[in-house]
Amino acid sequence: MTDTHCPYCSLQCGMTLRVGSSLASSGQAGSSRSRRLEVRERDFPVNEGALCRKGWTATGLRGHRERLTTPLLRDRATGELRAASWDEALDVVATRLRTLQEAHGPDTVAVFGGGGLTNEKAYLLGKLARVALRTSRIDYNGRWCMSSAASAANQALGIDRGLPFPLADIERTDVLVLVGSNLAETMPPAARHLDRLRERGGHVVVIDPRRTATAARADTVLQPVPGTDLALALGVLHLLDAAGAVDEEYVASRTTGFAAVRRTAAAWWPERVERVTGVSAGELRALAGLLAGAGTVTVLTARGAEQHSQGTATVLGWLNVALALGMPGKAHAGYGCLTGQGNGQGGREHGQKSDQLPGYRMIDDPAAREHVARVWGVDPESIPGKGLSAYELLESLGTGSRALLVFGSNIVVSAPNATRVTERLAALDLLVVADIVLSETAAMADVVLPVTQWAEESGTMTNLEGRVILRERAVTPPDGVRSDLDVYAGLASRLGSTAAFPTDPEEAFAELRLASAGGRADYAGITYDRIRAEDGVFWPCPAEDHPGTPRMFADSFATPDGRARFVDVEHAGAAEQPDADYPVHLTTGRVLAQYQSGAQTRRVRDLPDDGPFVELHPMLAARIGARDGEPVMVTTRRGSLRAPARIVDTIRPDTIFVPFHWVGANRLTNDALDPSSRMPEFKVCAAEVGLDTPSLVPRDGYSTNEGLVGRVASASERAVVGRVASASERIEIPAAHQRPGSGPTLGSPGFEARFSHTSTTGETPA
Amino acid sequence: MRTVVVGAGMAAARLADDLVARGGEVTLLGDEAHPPYNRILLSAVLEGTHDVGAIGLGLRPEVDLRLGTRAVEIHREEREVELADRSRVPYDALVLATGSIPTLPPIRGLVRVDGRLHERVHAFRSLDDCARLDRAVTAGARTAVVVGGGLLGLQVARALGVRGLAVEVVEGGEHLLRGQVDEKAGGILARDLRRLGATVYTGARAVRLTEDGLVLDNGYTLDTDLVVLTAGGRPSTALARRAGLEVRRGIVVDDRLRTDDERVFAIGDCAQHRGRTTGFVPPAWEQAGLLARHLAGEEVVYTGTRSVARLRATGLDVAVLGDPQTAAGEVVEVTNPIVGSHRRLVVRDGRIVAGTLVGDLSRIGLITQHYDRQTVLGAREPGLLLMPDRATAEVPQRLPDDAEVCSCAGVTAGRIRACSSYDDVRTTTRATTGCGGCAAAVEQLVTEGAHA
Repeated sequence: MTDTHCPYCSLQCGMTLRVGSSLASSGQAGSSRSRRLEVRERDFPVNEGALCRKGWTATGLRGHRERLTTPLLRDRATGELRAASWDEALDVVATRLRTLQEAHGPDTVAVFGGGGLTNEKAYLLGKLARVALRTSRIDYNGRWCMSSAASAANQALGIDRGLPFPLADIERTDVLVLVGSNLAETMPPAARHLDRLRERGGHVVVIDPRRTATAARADTVLQPVPGTDLALALGVLHLLDAAGAVDEEYVASRTTGFAAVRRTAAAWWPERVERVTGVSAGELRALAGLLAGAGTVTVLTARGAEQHSQGTATVLGWLNVALALGMPGKAHAGYGCLTGQGNGQGGREHGQKSDQLPGYRMIDDPAAREHVARVWGVDPESIPGKGLSAYELLESLGTGSRALLVFGSNIVVSAPNATRVTERLAALDLLVVADIVLSETAAMADVVLPVTQWAEESGTMTNLEGRVILRERAVTPPDGVRSDLDVYAGLASRLGSTAAFPTDPEEAFAELRLASAGGRADYAGITYDRIRAEDGVFWPCPAEDHPGTPRMFADSFATPDGRARFVDVEHAGAAEQPDADYPVHLTTGRVLAQYQSGAQTRRVRDLPDDGPFVELHPMLAARIGARDGEPVMVTTRRGSLRAPARIVDTIRPDTIFVPFHWVGANRLTNDALDPSSRMPEFKVCAAEVGLDTPSLVPRDGYSTNEGLVGRVASASERAVVGRVASASERIEIPAAHQRPGSGPTLGSPGFEARFSHTSTTGETPA
Repeated sequence: MRTVVVGAGMAAARLADDLVARGGEVTLLGDEAHPPYNRILLSAVLEGTHDVGAIGLGLRPEVDLRLGTRAVEIHREEREVELADRSRVPYDALVLATGSIPTLPPIRGLVRVDGRLHERVHAFRSLDDCARLDRAVTAGARTAVVVGGGLLGLQVARALGVRGLAVEVVEGGEHLLRGQVDEKAGGILARDLRRLGATVYTGARAVRLTEDGLVLDNGYTLDTDLVVLTAGGRPSTALARRAGLEVRRGIVVDDRLRTDDERVFAIGDCAQHRGRTTGFVPPAWEQAGLLARHLAGEEVVYTGTRSVARLRATGLDVAVLGDPQTAAGEVVEVTNPIVGSHRRLVVRDGRIVAGTLVGDLSRIGLITQHYDRQTVLGAREPGLLLMPDRATAEVPQRLPDDAEVCSCAGVTAGRIRACSSYDDVRTTTRATTGCGGCAAAVEQLVTEGAHA
């Protein structure tokens, strides 16, 4: 029995792993060599024993037939990958890296990490880049995940910790506002808090272009046009100010900068907001009224608000709302970001970000360089400066950097404008990928290194609450695989580095503690034993006798003067707006049964893998003649995707949705970057959606194939008639749109169809 | 380069802010005593839904704002504006943002011998007007007559109604809001106003204010504490006219917002572009933004603004897209006099070119998006847009066995029915162990199973 945590999202639910006594009996994939590993309930404060199906089936990937157990080298003659020994593989990598660096300088080697790597791996990956490779070119996929929230929180609060309070605190807030989060699907056990909050009389607000599973558990749902959450925040602030609901005393004593923010919000009266956001002035007033009357308000943002070219500004806009209400620092109130990846929080704190050193230190801060250099035993001058952000780094491949090392990321699926990124990967002289399976990215590599996975190795993660938790090794890894830490050490020694690259996680963590000591994310006082004994420890924790910091900001913020900053932000809108050629908004997101690029979950047999789909509203479906389950083609300026239509009335009719776990969605997405966080605009671009075989439908979209259009349209019309039955409604249909017999209720010949029902309302005709 | 703006209203404020943000030097000459404020929220201030302290638009500190100054002459040769005190302000570029002035209806007795309004008579254009009216209400006025049944008139009427006054609205046309909407919509609005306690006279003109009250041409005399004039406005063009600039209804500007003098521009309510003047903020702000870029040296072309007029008054829901009275196209219309809604879309080539929404704004956030973006709609879409959102969900009597009940664990109703107890469900299927949302449904299914 091993107490550990789920391998997937940032909730890091506690679970217990038990090595069973026999082979799989209920269809679990298991090799004949490994005994069946079972997931058991574990009472851990974050999830209280609950898990979603991803967690329950997490052991399904163990011993999967696609599991890599030997390094692979691409044979120059055949172009095929062939098995190689570890020594051969690492020798090849080191030799080629050294040759390239001698010819083109240290930055010719780039490193790409991931938000799923443990703290130990993330920390040593940064050290590998800066000390052994001496390259500035290191960044990670967290840049595509939480970086906008990180940038905003740093500006406004002086520190970036996803939630500055334990998640369970949200149960005791009066009003919880979720901006762009579908936590009921992306981290299901967290949704229990929403139910408890409502049971005690609290109110849940969900803001999302789609009426999601999370919206189904909310009291108020607003569906703005994708990319307009900032205008909505400005509108809310405008109304709070108009209603005299700004906490002037808090603003005066605990913040700076409100005057400029108030001035900007003054220009966002409700009807202007309505026109930009598609949220009616009435709904906006209701929300503002709710917030104005609440004792405590908690605003949480997630990817829906953050993955935009104005993502940082959007988060700041909502932070401004929380600050104006006087919430951050108050008990059971404030602002937080629901991080996404398993170690999205810790992964960004210890040096795999291009501009940071361990402990959330900035790489251009001389004192920070001095401190870290001392821990590493190197000259501060030898640490490279700021590198390129994730997407910029990938864009530079082939022209800037000629070699790329990838750990814990499946770029081919997860990068925006994926076709272009794939071209850049193909332009490399050397691509090295460490992974557990032959992911889409690994399949392109020159060298593939098979590494250990969750349950086969120990390491700490920092969950969305800033709680440092410990994943413990429960089983022996298959022969032939090595941990990422072994890979780093093997490469470092071959590159001639004398710096320490510990391969034991606890030893690596001990070094991380020293490196982070005194930094903003200070882990100095955290030990594996404390984590085990205390159900995790919240950073900052500067000393072993320090209790950790579950809640922040009660007395002061992490800024030099201790005050929070209002930052004046103005809505500009998405980089790409719909036009005649690409008339709808495309947004992307996750589904419950899959995680990130799906490299893991798509291979778990007990998780349904239905492939991508295109979610669209019946009105839009009728416009283009789409039928549920049949393929449609989505096209943007960057690529196309053919996938089945999923027709739902829960999405805005001017918006389509595609999940991003499969190859395809990110061929469509836009690579416009946020100026501050360098986060790409995954969440909105302009798209065209049509039938896969457009010739069936005339250009004007008014199909002569009535069967095709009729099914969906008539269903919604029938539903509609039931509601208005008691009224004498008159519907005039434009003559040009008339088609004899085109529908059972609306399309009767003639210019008018008159409904004159005598039945009472609410009856739906059979 | 120094830009001088005559006026310190919403268009002027926006322009000044954008210009200084681009490093320009700007002087605003405002004749009111207040820094720029959000004029369109005055009725909300009167109504009490908007704090007066929160309507200030503010300006960046670099803007040279001169309040209480009236420009009386433009000396185009010398490139100077002359003020009422005879001092002069030089300019490199001059922008006229003089707005509009309220029309005084031809009612005898409105104006006293000294030229000021009768003490019971109020205009409603400026913050001072609003404050004066507010004082009268606070001082105990019980009744009010609003002259003019346009957007502003209805807002003021509602505001006064909300403040507890008995309000009568007098509109000379045959129906309310006749500049924007058709008779059906106007009729529904009148009914709504009456339902909210106001009295509405249409097709009636006020002709005289006497000691007995306001005398209408239909023979009524309305005894009242207050008369509020909201009978519209006209572009303020006197200064431009005196300077010899081309003026028709408004100050004529080209696609660069320039008058016939290349150093003089006009934006906002006072400007006439391609034959049209507007009285709304969105075009004024779009013009201000474009002009700021033009003055900073960018090449810009103004082609006009799509307008959406919205009524801001509690209990009255009105939106007017474009000009539904004159727009050419096919009409889709849904009127429900029982609930008091009238919605009308004018559609051309599949695109919404104009529309009226009264009494039901449920789809406004989508309709205005389609209108602004000129989305080409499907044949049925305009009709569907005017239908209610969704039917009342039918609750199925019995969940089919293949219906997914627990999405976290992917468990169907059939599998739950096969379990003996709630705990059995938990341990064998994992249902309820994720987000917990299906607990009630599982309970129900287990009970069902027990009774079967």
